[in-house]
Amino acid sequence: MEKLFLLILTALTIPAFSQSNLSGKVTDKKGEPLPFANISILGTYDGVSADIDGNFNFSTTEKGAQVLQISMIGYISKKENIDIQQADSIFEFKLTESINSLNAVVVTAGMFEASDEKKMVMLKPMDIVTTAGGGADIVSVMQLLPGANRVGETEGLFVRGGSANETKTVIDGMIVQNPFFSSTPDVPQRGRFNPFMFKGTAFSTGGYSAMYGQALSSVLLLNTQDKLGERSNLNLGVNMAGMTASYTHKGWITGTINYTNLSPLLNLVKTNIEWEKVPQGFGTSLSINENFDNNSSLKVFGSYTDISSALKLPTYDAENSSYIFNNSNKNTFTNASYRRAFQEGKWVMMSGLSFSNNQDNLLLGNTSANRNDKRTQARLVMSRLFGSNESSSFNFGAEYHDIKLRNQYDEFELEIDDKYSSVFAESEFYLSSKLAGRLGVRAEHSSVINDFNLAPRISLAYKTGKYAQFSLAAGSFYQNPDKEYLYINQDLGFERADHLILNYQIKKNQRTFRTEVFYKKYNNLVSEDSPVFDPNPYRFPTGETDNSGFGYAQGFDVFFRDEKSIKNGDFWLTYSYLDTERQFRNYTEAVVPHFATKHNFSAIYKQFLTPISTNVGVTLTHTSGRPVYTIGEDFKEVEQTKAFQNLSVSASHVKLIGNSFLVFYATLDNVLGRNNIFGYRFSPDGKERYAVRPPINRTFFFGINWIFGQLNGRSREADLNF
Amino acid sequence: MKKVFLSLVLAFTVITLSAQSNNYEKAMTELVAQIEQVVPPSLHQPLSNKMERIAAVETEQWLPNYWIAFCYTADSFKKESPGERDQLLDIADEYMEKAMQLAGEKNSEIEVLKAQMASARMSIDPMSRFQEYGNIFQNALTSAMTYDPENPRAYYLQATNAYFTPENFGGGHAKAKPLFEMALEKFNNFKSESKMHPNWGFYESTYFLSEINK
Repeated sequence: MEKLFLLILTALTIPAFSQSNLSGKVTDKKGEPLPFANISILGTYDGVSADIDGNFNFSTTEKGAQVLQISMIGYISKKENIDIQQADSIFEFKLTESINSLNAVVVTAGMFEASDEKKMVMLKPMDIVTTAGGGADIVSVMQLLPGANRVGETEGLFVRGGSANETKTVIDGMIVQNPFFSSTPDVPQRGRFNPFMFKGTAFSTGGYSAMYGQALSSVLLLNTQDKLGERSNLNLGVNMAGMTASYTHKGWITGTINYTNLSPLLNLVKTNIEWEKVPQGFGTSLSINENFDNNSSLKVFGSYTDISSALKLPTYDAENSSYIFNNSNKNTFTNASYRRAFQEGKWVMMSGLSFSNNQDNLLLGNTSANRNDKRTQARLVMSRLFGSNESSSFNFGAEYHDIKLRNQYDEFELEIDDKYSSVFAESEFYLSSKLAGRLGVRAEHSSVINDFNLAPRISLAYKTGKYAQFSLAAGSFYQNPDKEYLYINQDLGFERADHLILNYQIKKNQRTFRTEVFYKKYNNLVSEDSPVFDPNPYRFPTGETDNSGFGYAQGFDVFFRDEKSIKNGDFWLTYSYLDTERQFRNYTEAVVPHFATKHNFSAIYKQFLTPISTNVGVTLTHTSGRPVYTIGEDFKEVEQTKAFQNLSVSASHVKLIGNSFLVFYATLDNVLGRNNIFGYRFSPDGKERYAVRPPINRTFFFGINWIFGQLNGRSREADLNF
Repeated sequence: MKKVFLSLVLAFTVITLSAQSNNYEKAMTELVAQIEQVVPPSLHQPLSNKMERIAAVETEQWLPNYWIAFCYTADSFKKESPGERDQLLDIADEYMEKAMQLAGEKNSEIEVLKAQMASARMSIDPMSRFQEYGNIFQNALTSAMTYDPENPRAYYLQATNAYFTPENFGGGHAKAKPLFEMALEKFNNFKSESKMHPNWGFYESTYFLSEINK
């Protein structure tokens, strides 16, 4: 019996005293050591961390067949079946880098990714509102970015030789029919949307994804905020152009009302425009943002605005007479999107519905003119993730738009009724963490022109170092002819542009350097047969039209941003060079379009002054002259306007009063008082000309925001909508 | 004879079993003591590696997962690159998720760590993250205090938050001082459940208070 007992005892105790030694080295594929790699025998506490040279060494009492696991942050874990013998074992492990946000190359050609709170990208809502000279307007700030052309007398994004009509604004995948307040001759309008509505703003300079279409030059992609919390707060604001109040209830529903009246502003500063009735009106919006338990979320945004104005515009005739341009605008915009993930996020469904109705009731002198734009659209995109870390994706989807445009002038009435449909498929894939590609194709049909197109898109990105990468994008882009042409000729076809873009980017330590070279070829542009060239951009085209227009745009741009060198400071430099010519609209030959400028330069500097919690900013822009085309222009010797220059300053200050925050902000535009001229309008005989100037030579703007509700923690001015 | 044999085997089973759980407690106690002694800029990483090995075996215990999340959060403050900091916090999130599942609901310590993680995320880019993570921070802190009004770490975090918030935003040293004093009072009355349970924050509180009193 004792023997048996002893036997059991020894059997149980012996292993405890016999240890094996495991040692070796952990490296990456290139043989670089991986310090702190975690080596463990699965199912036991036994293991060790690799030292600074990737070497490890530990003892274990385990025996026989075991599984050794080697893991490391940013690398794919490895499991190895081993057999532990009495003798010491030596191992060598090579781990493969996983594809993650830190090392993965991203396609950057043509895409100026503006905001995604997780990725450290280039522009965030705060950057937009703190940019001097940007007026907290998304598009105005985008105009300071590389690739954009500043055009002072009209709203919109002019990208790389493209007109404003060649850029589409897209909110959560849905095209916005009227992203700006109603157009008025030679008075640029603001965008309708507040920068804080969006978590992400991406501005494309070309070569964009097959998920979007109907834009020859660019898309401005705006992604609305997700639900941020469960708190309630009230935000009141008053400034020289109106008042606003918004209330958020428990984070999921926000209601806003605002009243606009430009009188205080226009009475205080000298304007170049004579107002018969200063712009005034009201607006209201409601947004709902809710996440559900089944991995789904719903976003609904609806707004209604009613604004009217009347201004005296010159008729440009010999008597210096004028007429009254009276506009009463009513705009309804609704956008709903629903997103749901299936199978642990392997499948994602995104669907959207949108309806917009824009009504302009115009009175031009005594003539009534009405414009109405209606767009109803539906979109469905399915996304399947695959590959290592599910970093690659395959997306496919379809969209359908019902567009009804009406234009009535006196007794003439014109209309367009278009059913636009498209299907698209695109895959974004990683061949390794260094090499990524995106291949897509988009097919579109437009019923009004009864035309069909197939547009392939391709992008590649290759990482050349830890911080540097090259990226390339190419593709075909189509869009319907401008509505002015479609009203009178529906036998036209799609206009077309082909893009080729090469991009190089280094991002290190909160410093970004980026440069892009591009070539864009235009074909099938609408060309108008007119006996005498008329430079008036607001004229209604009456000549014969066809798709024989063509052109090109080429150039490069450079961007540098430094958020590091100066504490609490932020500095950007942008330069774009553009060489473009096209024969389109009523141009009789291929020339530089009237809105294009060769050199665009901007410098932006912002500084947060901690002791007085004030943010100050300075923006300097320089845009070279634009061609001045006269009536009956022969395009031989073309005059140029003088360069446009602007120096703006802004400041905002935050103060805590009791449980509420007060934000004061002020901007001064055109500090140096330069007389900028954007171009000329001509009398019908071409003998007299009138300069087109900014509506206000030097703008001073001031406002206050008051926020009730708890703010906490290390913030500066986020959450302050102005 | 058979009975002796059987009871012997039984006794052994009990011994080995309790040896195993003793082993867990022993390993944890040692490791947690080491974790609490790490002085920045030294990394917590070798210790979190060890903790990960324990967590892989002790799949029913929330504490190892809690401590791993704690270590990665602590390490995230020591990195410079925003991308690297986020990467570490992503890992912390994973273990936090596990800890939450295992600990069940209404665990004050877990809420404190959640708040700490939100504050780590926020500090990477305060201007644009404040909205999202400021909310998470505040909600977690409120829950921590509700679940256990005596948890000193909740008060400690509230105090550091005030400490780092500029005066114009309702923070500042003057605001932070009584909060730290309150935290210290709670620390003095606090009795940790075991040596494996969280017990950090006391020295930090005294440090900040001495900075304020300078």
